[in-house]
Amino acid sequence: MFGGPSPRARRLAGSAAIYAGYIVVGLIFLFPLLWVASLSLRPMAELFAFPPRLVPQHPTLAAYRDVLTGSPLARYLLNSVKLVSATVVCALAIAVPSAYALSRLRFRRPAQKSAAMLGMLAVQLISPLVTALPLYRWFSALGLINSHAAVVLVYVALSAPLATWMLTGFLDTVPLALDEAARIDGCTRLQSLLHVLLPVMLPGLASTAILLAISTWGQFIVPFVLLTRGDLYPVSVGILDYQSSSDSVSTHLLAAAAILSALPAMLTFLVLQRFIVGALTAGAVKG
Amino acid sequence: MAQADALTAARRRPIEDRPLAWLAPLFLLLGALFLYPLFDVTRLSFTDATDAAAPAHYTFASYRSLLGSSEFLAMTRVTGIFVAASIAGQLVFGLLIAALVCEGERRRLPGAALVRAVVLVGWVLPGVVIGIIWKLLLDESGAGIMAYAASLLGARNPIFLSAPVPALFWVTIANVWRGTAFSMIMQYAGMKTVPIELYEAATVDGAGPLQRFRYVTLPSLRGILLINLVLITIATLNTFDMVLPLTGGGPGRATEVVALYIYHLVFSDFQFGRGAAVAVVLMAIGLVLSACYAHILQRERAA
Repeated sequence: MFGGPSPRARRLAGSAAIYAGYIVVGLIFLFPLLWVASLSLRPMAELFAFPPRLVPQHPTLAAYRDVLTGSPLARYLLNSVKLVSATVVCALAIAVPSAYALSRLRFRRPAQKSAAMLGMLAVQLISPLVTALPLYRWFSALGLINSHAAVVLVYVALSAPLATWMLTGFLDTVPLALDEAARIDGCTRLQSLLHVLLPVMLPGLASTAILLAISTWGQFIVPFVLLTRGDLYPVSVGILDYQSSSDSVSTHLLAAAAILSALPAMLTFLVLQRFIVGALTAGAVKG
Repeated sequence: MAQADALTAARRRPIEDRPLAWLAPLFLLLGALFLYPLFDVTRLSFTDATDAAAPAHYTFASYRSLLGSSEFLAMTRVTGIFVAASIAGQLVFGLLIAALVCEGERRRLPGAALVRAVVLVGWVLPGVVIGIIWKLLLDESGAGIMAYAASLLGARNPIFLSAPVPALFWVTIANVWRGTAFSMIMQYAGMKTVPIELYEAATVDGAGPLQRFRYVTLPSLRGILLINLVLITIATLNTFDMVLPLTGGGPGRATEVVALYIYHLVFSDFQFGRGAAVAVVLMAIGLVLSACYAHILQRERAA
């Protein structure tokens, strides 16, 4: 298409160079994961095999079984699932009405709206570590250290702005005529949001929820500071604890634990890719 | 007269038409758990507060003592090197991979989308897991894969994380590995918006692939590159979770970047005032960078 008069051989050489680049990039980004997966599939005797080999001689899932039954990892995973689902539900409950206001309502001054939007971006850009010190002091004074509810509250404050930002963008693409028709039929704004807009927003809600879930799954500072009891840790903090208690003869267990704590986020990401494609094609059909 | 009518109409606006009524839960939450803490940490930075129950006094001592502290200066140096090298690596590799993927798609080569997905997988991993993965790769015993690779290249008993200079190098490499995906996806999205006619015109004028990249792609990406630069600078400044399992800030304090420094001051040394002062400096840098970001964003939209 772009080769123009240049000979076919040059084009082939160009494509070969691109593939060489792909292989290098693929190796750099995939190899670390493959190596850890390989460690996790070994019996202990093969941990120190020399020279090291990527494919274990006697692959086994024993490390996964041991780490799930003989360590608190299952507990950590469960805590993470609890915290993440509560956060996603609460953050969406707060973000949906906010996005409605930002997309549908007239502000007295347009500057108020852009200030609100930019303010929400700024929340993403300041490290939770900055607010961790005062939050730690208050929550200790209130006796809320080691409370999952307190952790969820902070998570929601950190993720609702991003959710609002995304949902506002999504609502802006939904034609105004849709909710105006409902309002003419006598719906209040709340009814038009719940019964007319919400069903249309479903793809946007889904991708927002998935993005929030991935980022909350990896959230580290808040639980690290606000939780001190091991049985309450989410997996991000728990696996650090697990690492500090592991040694070279349990490397396969640490590797299995690392894979298990990364797997939910990785699988969710693959679903996210599908959703993005889905949202795009749905828009094309409607457009 | 008409103006007065409009005013009363505005005052009588039903509650469901007022944005604030809908935004109230979000604003309350952000006010209590974000804005007020920011104010409180600023206040604390001007006190000599510790974890002791004794009432704190207002003072500038925290800021003054930081400037004279050799630890603070060493941390600034480590953070500066870490951030500068990380953003350079992420921008260059991100741009390179984005160009590779785009060129592959243009030539309809199978596999371009797969490469994009592989790079992105590293980005969704929790930071702690990334730290553990690199710690396992960089195991200095004979069973470590990088140590083995180094021995094939003739280096016996290589040192990765147990000496200051290599440790900072490898922490930076791990961070580039983590962050390149974000730069790649931004540059990729930017390249997709470059009008195809520009490339066709450049080809007609006799430009090769490298010249097309230099004279068509790069100038069109200027705005996106700037935004990208601001965002990854902030993300790298805030890096915390990945370093903990990898080096814990060590050996010594060789990889103690600013976020770890704050954490140690506050939660190990219980020097709340000094920790808050560093946090305020970090917040100020973040706010200045956010303002740059907002400025670039608005200019790009206007253009």
